[in-house]
Amino acid sequence: MSVLTTTDLGVAFRTESGTVDAVRGVSLRVEPGQTLALVGESGSGKSTVALAAMGLLSGNATASGSAVVDGTEVVGAAEPALRALRGSTVAMVFQEPATALDPLTRVGAQIAEVIRNHRQVSAAAAAAEAVDMLDRVGIPDPEQRARAFPFQLSGGQRQRVVIAMAIANSPKLLIADEPTTALDVTVQAEILELLRELAADTGTGVLLVTHNMGVVADFADRVAVMLQGEIVETGSVEDVLLRPEHEYTNRLLAAVPRLTVAAPAPAMSVASPPDGPGGRPDPAPVVDLRDVSVTFGRGARAVHALRGVDIAVHAGETVGLVGESGSGKSTAARVALGLIRPSAGSVHLFGTDLRRAQRRDRRSLRSGIGVVLQDPVASLDARMSVAECIAEPLAVHRRGMSGTDRRKRVDEVLDAVRLPRDLATRAPRELSGGQRQRVSLARALVLSPRLLVADEPTSALDVSVQETVLEVLRELQDDLGFACLFVSHDLAVVQQFAERVVVMRQGVVEEQGATGATLVHPTTDYTRRLLAAVPVPDPVVQRRRRAERLATLAAVTA
Amino acid sequence: MTAVQMVPEAPGAPVTVAATGWRLAVRRFRRNTLAVIGLAVIVVVVLFCFVGPLLYPTDQTHTQLSQANLGPSAAHLLGTDAVGHDVLGRLMYGGTVSLTVGIAAGVLATVVGTLWGSVAGYVGGWVDAAMMRVVDAGIAIPALFILLVISAITTPGVAGLIVILGLVSWLVPSRLIRAETLTLKNRDYVLTLRAIGGSHARAIGKHLLPNSVSTIVVAATFQVADAILLVAYVSYLGLGVQAPATDWGGMLSAGLTAAYSGRWWLIVPPGLAVILVVCAFNAVGDGLRDAFDVRGR
Amino acid sequence: MTTTLYLLRRVLQALAVVLIVTIVVFCLLHALPGGPARGVLGVSATPAQIAAFNQAQGLDQPLPVQYVRFLGRLLTGDLGTSYTLNEPVGQLIVERLPKTLVLTGISAVLGLVIAIPVGMWQAARRNGAVDYAATALAFVFYSTPAFFLGLVLIIVFSQQLPWLPSQAPGGNTLAEVFQDPAGLVLPVVTGALAMIAVFSRYMRASTLENLQEDYVRTARAGGASTSAILRRHVFRNSLTPVIAMLGYYLPVLFGGALVTEQLFNYPGMGLLFWNAAQSSDYPTLLGCVLVISIATVVGTLLADVAQSLIDPRVKASRA
Repeated sequence: MSVLTTTDLGVAFRTESGTVDAVRGVSLRVEPGQTLALVGESGSGKSTVALAAMGLLSGNATASGSAVVDGTEVVGAAEPALRALRGSTVAMVFQEPATALDPLTRVGAQIAEVIRNHRQVSAAAAAAEAVDMLDRVGIPDPEQRARAFPFQLSGGQRQRVVIAMAIANSPKLLIADEPTTALDVTVQAEILELLRELAADTGTGVLLVTHNMGVVADFADRVAVMLQGEIVETGSVEDVLLRPEHEYTNRLLAAVPRLTVAAPAPAMSVASPPDGPGGRPDPAPVVDLRDVSVTFGRGARAVHALRGVDIAVHAGETVGLVGESGSGKSTAARVALGLIRPSAGSVHLFGTDLRRAQRRDRRSLRSGIGVVLQDPVASLDARMSVAECIAEPLAVHRRGMSGTDRRKRVDEVLDAVRLPRDLATRAPRELSGGQRQRVSLARALVLSPRLLVADEPTSALDVSVQETVLEVLRELQDDLGFACLFVSHDLAVVQQFAERVVVMRQGVVEEQGATGATLVHPTTDYTRRLLAAVPVPDPVVQRRRRAERLATLAAVTA
Repeated sequence: MTAVQMVPEAPGAPVTVAATGWRLAVRRFRRNTLAVIGLAVIVVVVLFCFVGPLLYPTDQTHTQLSQANLGPSAAHLLGTDAVGHDVLGRLMYGGTVSLTVGIAAGVLATVVGTLWGSVAGYVGGWVDAAMMRVVDAGIAIPALFILLVISAITTPGVAGLIVILGLVSWLVPSRLIRAETLTLKNRDYVLTLRAIGGSHARAIGKHLLPNSVSTIVVAATFQVADAILLVAYVSYLGLGVQAPATDWGGMLSAGLTAAYSGRWWLIVPPGLAVILVVCAFNAVGDGLRDAFDVRGR
Repeated sequence: MTTTLYLLRRVLQALAVVLIVTIVVFCLLHALPGGPARGVLGVSATPAQIAAFNQAQGLDQPLPVQYVRFLGRLLTGDLGTSYTLNEPVGQLIVERLPKTLVLTGISAVLGLVIAIPVGMWQAARRNGAVDYAATALAFVFYSTPAFFLGLVLIIVFSQQLPWLPSQAPGGNTLAEVFQDPAGLVLPVVTGALAMIAVFSRYMRASTLENLQEDYVRTARAGGASTSAILRRHVFRNSLTPVIAMLGYYLPVLFGGALVTEQLFNYPGMGLLFWNAAQSSDYPTLLGCVLVISIATVVGTLLADVAQSLIDPRVKASRA
């Protein structure tokens, strides 16, 4: 008997603006010991299906159809029946480890609670079992850690605690909703490994909800692709990922940036700065961080965000700045933007040392920079129209410009980012995420900058939208020739987009060089590990990579 | 890693935004029954106090001892007080003072609090710490105590009263606005502006203040409610406007001894009036806060 | 950050606040008509006496110097002498303050004990009939001036229904006050009702916010019932901001005590202050302001400490 069978499952939401059908006619099965990946972009309804299977839909949602978990119908079931299922027969792992745990209860107690919800066990016995669970999910020093509060644990460790809570009662079905999206790629690989192990050990069926095709290739046996509330394609992971039938699946897979893992012997040697106009090597970089250190706080509690970092971006080139959380890449970008003063070292912008420059000179230097940040919602002031947002740099640096000229320029940049001109009068709230990021880009270009600093500009976007934005960006760079400092955690994107890459780790530059060379044949262990942990959307290749990676790790620890 | 919500791609699809459109806010407000009732009450009371005397003229300056202490009747709908003033008329007249002083003091408190709080929040560092210690000190001294001390020194007129009440009440809004400023100054659009060379003035004027409007409006509404209540206290304690002028608190104070001997019409109308109006402003403030989705308080 | 470091920082902040309060009091002292001389010598002092006093007290010295001497006097407990009661202000306050603290303390405890469960219940049954009724009642009670509320209570429970005395028990010591507990009922209830109104709203809002949090969903996914979730997780998380608000509500509580004590004739600091205001007894007035403010600062400090005990994150952040 399958652990989960949905038949014609539908979910409708009552919102302030009417009823929305989030899920329509979804039928799928999860067999014991198997993993079914439910893939889709935002708005596809995949998370809603997961919540419906647990009976955890919010109050304004109505479910229709059927969802049977290990023989029990969930749709329309009474709350006590659902409560008996949740945490014992079916369990869930959520996306955001930062907020998934009660901040005021120790983690051991939270695991023990789940145990005692379903089994008659004494408090002491439950506490001891909780410690065992922590050990099982790979948390070192479990007795100590059981007494810790969530804020004392890292993101990866918190996610392990959530997993421990989920498996505490050996569920038949484990639902994982984007379990690794909020984690670093190396931590992601570890968590996926853990989940796979646990599922294999206990024969648990897993429903994995994700948008990441690499994770699917790494983990799933079968795949179901969702688009706008409906399943468009189902099949084994190899069939769907390597021989997709539906047009949407094709488009989705095509849009995923792929990490080139094997390449012919590199023709390029060590990266040299690209030639400036006239063919001579351009000596002065547009932005140059020399031996920059940034320290927050004082004394024992000081955080060394950057330590003696050297990063330079030359005219016309794109430099990718990669690293995991805590690597300092965002801090470095902010130093380049002048938002953070370095505690040591110097920053040169367009050849001028910022420390020595007058305020007025600093200001006019800044007009040569364009900025695109990560959050599409917060990057535009919702109180201003799109045209006003884009024209803001003009208002700052070109006060003399007439209204007509300003409008003309706004129209020009809207054309450049491939957005319709009539968008100019709309409010940001009426735009989608991808459109907003393109408006951000338009604003960054309006002064014809020599340097564009982009801090994770596409990380919050769906993969198909990301493709469009990156295409636009690439085109613009070819046309206008600005330099670009591109910060990202996504190695595949950086590989496609940047000529040089700087790999950062804990405030220090691990290595840097031409993208082609560095990301395919890295020189440091850290970069190698980082690359090995990135899952690729090809199940056959990914299986081999995983085996290699585990072999390397085992060799290291042996 | 990314804690940002993935934004659905279809344009026009529901998107989580920081600012609420005006139309949506109005719709939400309309659905809050208590808030709508509150708004209606405020309008009615304002009309009652300011337009009422035109429809029901009474003499509020000269005493008419022959008419003193009469119960409610056809001639005097709410009876008369100890010196012969018609109570209903006095209620209207007192209301103009209570409302004027209350609204003006509430607005003054919000303006001062906004200036103080936004500067402290924006500048940060030790300036912020110092400014907030001053606010803490101001909050620590109970308002009524300070008001009694001031009353022992001077007897303010209406304008003076507004200023004094405003100066005692600006502390709470300053904390709210400071919190709002702290959140807003780290928004991406402000950081972008600073990175490309925008000035602090522009950041504050074009971004911080317009985006704080909903918080400020909500704070102002609650401040007016508090101020009207405070005016009642102040007049009850004998510090308010002097006779023959009066306000609701003064009516309560004057009618106090009478209340024990059963002349309920001297204290029940002004008491209920204060409760009704303050309630109404609080309900409207609550409704506005939910409509704009403002945090805090 | 360790507990001691956190406490140290909070205490230093509190001291800074107290210092500012003394500056305010000092300015008020010098704003009195006739200056501090009048404040000490009384309303009937002649100009010659005032001049002599000024010179003797060094009041011709620059203000900062005077302020330092003022601080010095405060530190030795010298708050001046009341000239209507002819006793040192410090002593008067020491006699009266405990009674005020007891009255406000009982009101506060009663208020919290009722407000917190009511607020939580309202949030759990949001938009139900009980929620609307409780919300409407809360609005009414915190829009009602305390003296009006007290008046109504007296008329209803003392005059119409002779259940409770309208005067609070007199007496000089705490023990005497407690000899007639019935007399305390109305004053305590008056103070508590407003507090219930305010804090039930706070608790309701805080609980509603917490019910939206992710950890509630995680607990539900683990099979916990709604009541269990409220009890084990939401309650403590919702309580923390409410305790923080308690510190800011203390001055309101003391201000209310002023009015309540006057209405019920309760021999606490509020009544002392009220009488002093009637007779322009400046030393007493200013002494009371100072002591009450310090009481508030101490109360806020204690509330913060309580908060850090419940919420271990408070110490770790830069408050």
